[in-house]
Parts: sequence; structure tokens; C-alpha cells
Amino acid sequence: MIRFENVTKVYDRKARPALDSVSLEIQRGEFAFLVGASGSGKSTFLRLVLREDRATSGGVFVAGQNVASLSSWRVPRLRRGIGVVFQDFRLLPQKTVFANVAFAMQVIGRNRSIIRDAVPEVLKTVGLEGKEHRMPHELSGGEQQRVAIARAVVNRPGILLADEPTGNLDPSTSQGIMAVLDKINQNGTTVVMATHDTDIVNSMRKRVIELQDGHVIRDEARALYTSLIPSVPPAERRDGEGGRA
Amino acid sequence: MRVTFILGEIASGLRRNVSMVVSVILVTFVSLTFVGAAGMLQLQITQMKGYWYDRVQVAIFLCGEGSTAPGCVSGPVTGEQQAALADLLESPAVAQYVNDYHYETREEAYEHFKEQFANSPIVDSVTPDQLPSSFRINLKDPEKYQIISETFSSQPGVETVVDQRQLLERLFSVMNGASLVAIVIAGIMIVCAILLIATTIRLSAFSRRRETAIMRLVGASKIMIQLPFVLEGVIAAAVGAVLASATLWGVSQFFLGDVLAKQYPDTAFISPSQTLVLAPLLIALGILLAGVSSIVTLRRYLKV
Repeated sequence: MIRFENVTKVYDRKARPALDSVSLEIQRGEFAFLVGASGSGKSTFLRLVLREDRATSGGVFVAGQNVASLSSWRVPRLRRGIGVVFQDFRLLPQKTVFANVAFAMQVIGRNRSIIRDAVPEVLKTVGLEGKEHRMPHELSGGEQQRVAIARAVVNRPGILLADEPTGNLDPSTSQGIMAVLDKINQNGTTVVMATHDTDIVNSMRKRVIELQDGHVIRDEARALYTSLIPSVPPAERRDGEGGRA
Repeated sequence: MRVTFILGEIASGLRRNVSMVVSVILVTFVSLTFVGAAGMLQLQITQMKGYWYDRVQVAIFLCGEGSTAPGCVSGPVTGEQQAALADLLESPAVAQYVNDYHYETREEAYEHFKEQFANSPIVDSVTPDQLPSSFRINLKDPEKYQIISETFSSQPGVETVVDQRQLLERLFSVMNGASLVAIVIAGIMIVCAILLIATTIRLSAFSRRRETAIMRLVGASKIMIQLPFVLEGVIAAAVGAVLASATLWGVSQFFLGDVLAKQYPDTAFISPSQTLVLAPLLIALGILLAGVSSIVTLRRYLKV
């Protein structure tokens, strides 16, 4: 579903690259955590998938399409296949819960009748039944994030990108959000979640991709936040890894 | 759905930005009024040309008592001189340029003079023998005045050859100057309008940056994101253009029609309906200005 082939992203020629020759593949329907310190390249990874930025070199394939060579008028179509959730929710404060979710459908030209059916359904999926007419400021942080998730998945994207979705939430609320993301993943959506939240990664036991200074230093299935295997310094690793796909 | 959604976005954008929208309306209104005023002056010139060029003639004034021109050394024009001039007018070399001509006696000249200056006390102090007799020539092509002038100026008995068109040209050049001034002012105001529209669109894009960010993320098309902003500017400019058209119509209806036309009954002023011809042009110009400046602004300030 998402495939990086030797992707390098340089923002500033003088500084080290944000991503340095990263190659990895995330399968359809997978749930992957992207972990690593701030500045390790997690956000850059997500921006490249969304085509907010273009890779400096290498190929970024999303659903079989090379995003790097996508002409700008086709970018909206790419983004319709990707839902995004942020740490700060990014709801429209003057719109109700229903209107916030419906907005994502209105702006891509969906029919009113489809919106009337789809919005309550997706609100039910995220556990917000009966709160359609609340305003965002009347909701708790967890509920606001559920609205944001509902908005991200209402157009049934194949991929859901979550950039520290639990960063502003307390642990128990975070567990609720993770249950929602897991449910969405069970329905067949590929989920990629960048996070710092050790507890969540450890409790989910999903694939973990660890980035450090723009390199993938660990990529394990059913893993924990910190590796059980002692990590190898990136420089040595690059010399030795050669033919690794 | 799309249409109602876009209309809703435009309405909310206009509501959030009322003061800026009003200023865009006023600036386009003033600038397009000046553009329209220049247009009206040009229409008026065309109208007067059409009206006068058929009537205006080349006049060959003949010598009277006390004429000092070189052709008048032998005193007032004689019967033979006058006949010779008439023969010359009939000769093929000249006749090919002449539509028709007639001879105006001093008495006729006096009658015309009295008519023209009916309201002026000058009439009482003028007598027929102070006015010269003349040949009034209507040319097939008014541009050929030079040929007539060269042929007749040096003839005996001719005091002077006057192209009445030149008198009108002086008036027209004044009017052309006025329309040039109007165009310059309009140009400056249009620059103001363009910059103001650009600023308004920037503000509008800034105040709705959350919405546009989400639109981008969920894959709204460029048109869907940008069209509300462009239309906001276009609507404001179009309102300004309509106001400008209404003002010009008012000027031609009440100022030209009711005031000037009564003072100068001989002059053919443009009618209000002729002024309305300018309205679609002004509206199109307003829409074009707003559309282009907002698209250029959005390209810089609204990433898609």
C-alpha cells in the first residue's frame, strides 16, 4: 500500500537529510507504528506519503502510484484515498460535529443524501452517537479526536495516517482512541501512526518502524516501543545491510 | 450540492470581510466610473463628428471693404472674380472633390449670424456689410481640405479659406485631453483596486486557513478550494461596476439630458441608452480585474 524505495528528503542542503535513503513497505491492511525521537523523520515520512513534499530522490509509491512523479492536479485524487489525523485535532470551531465530518464530504462534491447517511454511520463507528449537534468546544479532547478520526475516514480512504493522535490525551482516553483506530484497521484500512507513546505501542503489539536521524534503525512485527534486540549504530548498519529489501 | 456549498462559502467569506468587501466595491466603482467617463467622452466625440462633419464646410471668404489679405489688394471682390471662382469650382480638377457648394451673400451671412447669436447683444452692432460673402463648399472627403485651400487662397478676390472642421477639431482635442485625464486617473484607481482586491483575498484566505487546510487534506480539488475566493473578489468588483454604470447613466440622464441639452439645444448629446452600452464593458472589465488579481494572489498565498 505504501512503498519507499531509497527515499531521501533534503530540506536544507547544509543540514543532514530528514530522510536518508529509506526503503520500506507497508502492506494493505497493516497497522504500523512509526516511532523515534523528534526530528527523526516521522513527520517527513507522512508528508511524503501525502505529497505535501516531494522526495529529493527515490520513489514513494502509494497504492501503486509513484507520488513523486504525480502531476499537481492529480494530488487531490491521491489525498482522497488517505485520511489524516493530527495531535491538535484541527476541527472547525464554528461547525457542529456533524458539520465538521460532513465538510470533508461536501468539499469533494458528495451528494447531500449520501452525506446524511454516511456521517451518522461513521460517528457511530467512532463512538459519538447522539453528539452530532455539539460544538467542538463542548467536547472533551478524546471526543474531539474521535470527530477528527470520523472526518478522516468518512470518505473511506484506504490509508489512515495519524500523527501523534494521542499526544494531547490522557492514557485512558488514549486507549479509547486506539480502540477506534484498531477497529478502523480491522475494517481493512491501512493505518500508519507516528507516536511517542510507549504504553500504547507496547499494548498494541503491532509492527514498529523506528527512525533515527532519517534512517530506519528497526522494523519489527508485533514489537515493543524499545527494541529487545540491542540496536546497531546506523553507520555500521548501512555498510553491512547491502541487499536488504 | 457543489453549487450550494460554494455559494455558502462565498456568503460566509463576504460576511466575515464586510469592510474590505465594501472598500473593494468603492474602489472599483470609482475607477470604473473614470473609465466610463472616458468612454462617454469618446462616444460624445464620435456623435458630434457624425453630426457636424456632414454639415461643416470649407468656407472661401471673399474680399470685402477693408480686407487686408494679399488677394484683396484690388479692393472688394468684383463680379468677374466671383464668376471666375465659381468656374474654378466647376472645373474638373476641383469638382472631383466637391460634393456641392453654394454662394452665401452678405445678407444670408447676416441672417445666420443673427440666428447663431440670437441671445447676444453683439447682433445689434453688426451690419450686413461687415460680414463677408462666401462660397460654402461641402467636400466629398473632408480630409482633402488642403487641396481646396491651396487652389483658392491665392486667387484674386479671396480673403481667406477656412476649414470649419478645424474649429471642431480644437473642441475635440479638448475633449480628447479630458478623456486622457480620465483614463490616467482610472489607471491609478485600477492599480489601487487590483492591490486592494489582492489584499482582501489574502485576508480572506488567512481567516479561512483552517478550512482550506482541511479541504486540501481530504482531497478537495483546486477549483473547489479557490473558486469561493475568486468569486468573492469578482462579485465585489461586479457590484462596483454596476454602481459605476448606474452613475454614468445618471450623468447622461440628468446632467446631459436635463441640464446641458437645454442650454445647448444645437448640440447632439449622447442619450442615456447609448451610455448603457458601456455597462457590459465596465462589468466585464471589473470581473476581469478581480479575477486575474485574485488568481495571481491565490497562487502565492493559498497553497493547494
